[in-house]
Amino acid sequence: MSNKICRLLVVDDEAIVGKRLQQVFSKIGFEIETYTEAAAAMAAMAARPFDLVVTDLKMAGMDGMEVLRRVRGMNPRTQVIIITGYASPETAELAQQQGVFAFLAKPFRLDELKQIIFRALEEQKGGN
Amino acid sequence: MALSDLLKGFLAKRWRTSKACRPLPLVFFQFREVLKANNQALELIADMGEKLSGEYLFDLRYVESTVEEMIAAMHHAIAAVNTLTQDQCAALPGIFVPMEARVRAILGKRDDREGPALLWLAEVEARHWPLVGGKAAHLSELLHNPRVRVPEGFVITTRLFHDLLDLNGLRPEFDRFEQLLSGHLAEEEELATLPRLLKGKLLSAEPPAGFLAALADSLKRLASISEAPFFLAVRSSAQEEDMDFSFAGQFHSVLQVPPQAEAVYRAYLQVAASLFGAKAINYRRQVFPEGGPISIAACCQCMIPASASGVIYSVDPMEPGSQSMVAVGALGQGQAVVEGQVPTDFFRLSKGELPQIVERVLAAKHQALRPTGEAAGGLVLQMVPEGQTAAPCLDEQTLLELAGVAIHLETFFKRPQDIEWTVNPQGDLYILQSRPLLITENTKGKPLLAEKLAGYELIAAEAGRVAYQGIGAGPAFRVDTLADLKEFPEGAVLISHRDSSQFVQVMQRAAAIVTEVGTPASHMATLCRELRVPCLVGVPDILARITPGEEITVDAEDRRIYRGRVGELLTYQATTSMDLHLAPEFRMLRRVLREVSRLYLVDPLMQEFKAEGCKTFHDVLRFIHETAVLHLVELGRDDRCLPGGLARRLDLPIQAGILAIDIGGGIAPDAPPDQIPFAAIRSIPFRAILQGMLFPGAWHQEAMSVSFTDMMHSMLTTPQDTLSGQYTGHNIAIISENYVNLCFRFGYHFNIIDAFCHEVERDNHIYFRFLGGATDLAKRSRRATLIATILEAFDFSVKTRGDLVIARTGNLIQGEMERTLEILGRLIGFTRQLDVQMRDDQTVARYAEAFLMGDYDIAAREG
Repeated sequence: MSNKICRLLVVDDEAIVGKRLQQVFSKIGFEIETYTEAAAAMAAMAARPFDLVVTDLKMAGMDGMEVLRRVRGMNPRTQVIIITGYASPETAELAQQQGVFAFLAKPFRLDELKQIIFRALEEQKGGN
Repeated sequence: MALSDLLKGFLAKRWRTSKACRPLPLVFFQFREVLKANNQALELIADMGEKLSGEYLFDLRYVESTVEEMIAAMHHAIAAVNTLTQDQCAALPGIFVPMEARVRAILGKRDDREGPALLWLAEVEARHWPLVGGKAAHLSELLHNPRVRVPEGFVITTRLFHDLLDLNGLRPEFDRFEQLLSGHLAEEEELATLPRLLKGKLLSAEPPAGFLAALADSLKRLASISEAPFFLAVRSSAQEEDMDFSFAGQFHSVLQVPPQAEAVYRAYLQVAASLFGAKAINYRRQVFPEGGPISIAACCQCMIPASASGVIYSVDPMEPGSQSMVAVGALGQGQAVVEGQVPTDFFRLSKGELPQIVERVLAAKHQALRPTGEAAGGLVLQMVPEGQTAAPCLDEQTLLELAGVAIHLETFFKRPQDIEWTVNPQGDLYILQSRPLLITENTKGKPLLAEKLAGYELIAAEAGRVAYQGIGAGPAFRVDTLADLKEFPEGAVLISHRDSSQFVQVMQRAAAIVTEVGTPASHMATLCRELRVPCLVGVPDILARITPGEEITVDAEDRRIYRGRVGELLTYQATTSMDLHLAPEFRMLRRVLREVSRLYLVDPLMQEFKAEGCKTFHDVLRFIHETAVLHLVELGRDDRCLPGGLARRLDLPIQAGILAIDIGGGIAPDAPPDQIPFAAIRSIPFRAILQGMLFPGAWHQEAMSVSFTDMMHSMLTTPQDTLSGQYTGHNIAIISENYVNLCFRFGYHFNIIDAFCHEVERDNHIYFRFLGGATDLAKRSRRATLIATILEAFDFSVKTRGDLVIARTGNLIQGEMERTLEILGRLIGFTRQLDVQMRDDQTVARYAEAFLMGDYDIAAREG
């Protein structure tokens, strides 16, 4: 990730999530786009792929599982991290099967997410 | 044998006799149910408090769901204590109803609608804050502060605001207005017409029945304690005003209002209608876009006949690290100062223990804002007689008194303050307002820049005073009248003779602002700081040296103005970051915690320690816990219920003051009825803990010296402190052969150990909870860290939240349980007063290491 700017997409219907993550990740040099609607986020993803996607699970319209499915379909290299206040073991299991990188329960420490994202990037690099 | 077996055994035996005396194990089981529910609720409160630290990402759903869980835990705890005490706390459910309703009102954003329409300022409590607004909330706190003189008065609350909307059929329009403001795509046209309509209708709104009579009563009461001639100042106090945002000068104030109900009501309508003014709307859209609906209360206070007035900042906002503060003042009423209508004297003072005046720049004060003298009230700018214009507006003694008050208020509110003051002809100093001073610190260095700047033409150097630091460049646009603002182009530098809070209308479009007169303490300067507009004020004759339309660069750091655009400077612009505390999630959580987490019900020996005295959830939990413990103590004292067994004192070589209640096999049958020696303790877990406490050196006998500030901390409730307060009472151990529930209250901290210990591994558990302390939260938290570090070393799973430590372990073989409990005993002794010594994080590490190495003398050596 040193020679390439990492592109991060955030999808959460609560604006504060995008705002806080924008603040944290643009400060450390990420290119970050945030959306409160999954459909708009998927349009952005289709236009220009992201390295990482952080998505909420429960959203009106398209939910996080659908985001996961579409992102993995569009670009299998893109890692997806699901953040949620409602993590049932069944959903987590299903997400694992669909190739989610990590499942993070809200509320969480911003630093936790940072570490997960760094790990995801490391793995991506390793995969090259 | 598991607890339930024990219970059955007892039920089958001899205890099912008297109606008043239930079998002790049943009582004991119920007691533990109370503890469980109580602990759950307390943990949720602590959890929410922690989320305010800024380290977490949480959303509104978190707030809502946690509140629901907490309410459920509260109901459970209340039911459990009533089961235990056989409805001795029958009043508690009724007392909890309004508390729950208030918290739900916060979630529903309705907390400014429920309550009285009039409130005496001195009777305002924290639960009224949403009703009275930020300004009144601060003033009510100051009224109880003996260091500060605040004009008496009352508040017309937001309840009236909402009643007026409902009674006069304005609710649909108001909702639409708020909807437009909160929308991302505002309907500009509608946003121009709707506020005008609302303003007009509100100004002619009919009061609710009986309101004017109640207002007249309040005025009569105020007149009876005021000197004639008696007039009022009616000032806005918006819901959020002064809490997070300054709203400085955004809402209307009406001064010198005659003390008639009708006149005061009309003044309130003017104040309330200013919510729909262009100034306030622009401010909200720029500074407070996701703020949600705002309603307006008004402080109605006695007008102080002012010989001089002004503003003092408890910290120089331009040099926050400098240990100096700045004040400005003028003759007459202070409105002329904050609106930048008159030249002001400037004072800089050092902030030491005894403040000193280090700089004094006096202005020629030809005008002063004073009462018209008419019965209808009002103020007017009047000429100051020659010979009085040059003298400082404040004598040295009053200035130093003011500085002392400013330092005090900064400490009182735990933040730098922006304070409006006034002095009456007798020289008495009054505080009219104290709000958080917004400071943006600039830590950027400027290497090598000076050389590059030498090539640019300087229009002004050492120019005036900095109202807000920063750098801006653009074409100069001159504003002579407010009408000029309409033409203000995007990206221009506003230049003007005087400063005005009306400039807020163009601030978001302005690259910078420069004025010839004005002060860094004006409303405009405050607005510049919030909207981050670089601004220099008091730059003499600058208008004559700039041609309107020419490009200039304003360096409001080094106080220089350049001709042309200085790109090198612009690269130094500080990046802005979102202030977390402005987010609606944070504000809602803060409000919830205000209702929930404060502890008022502190001392069980005080008279008000009863169900009716509970104001917050935490109070209720505290009351429940104490009631539950006392219930056991009382049972223990009752010979009928405990034949042969009282709450019995222990006779130990250390002064631990423990009473033991034996519910079965905890004390040797042949032990004396009182003053039980250690040897007679049969309770396995209790004996292990005592052994640890008695371990040589572990129990500190010497009292630690507590510093004055530590002492003050223990006596004052600080707003950020979610779980503080003094716990007093007995140290009680409820014991059986395999069980101990030990509650320690050492002054300001509170420690519970609940343990079950027998041969069946999976039944064994230890629950450890530690809370509070006599010092500030930082030291208490360090002690909590110390305890957590040690417990983790002994394989506890540990959670800390501020000064709360919760640790659990279990599923251990009996020998391991005993060893662990013995360590806990040593830990209780070791850390009893250690918060005093927890100066820094290194100390924590050193003490933890010492404890683990068995070096318990460290406290005595370093204390």
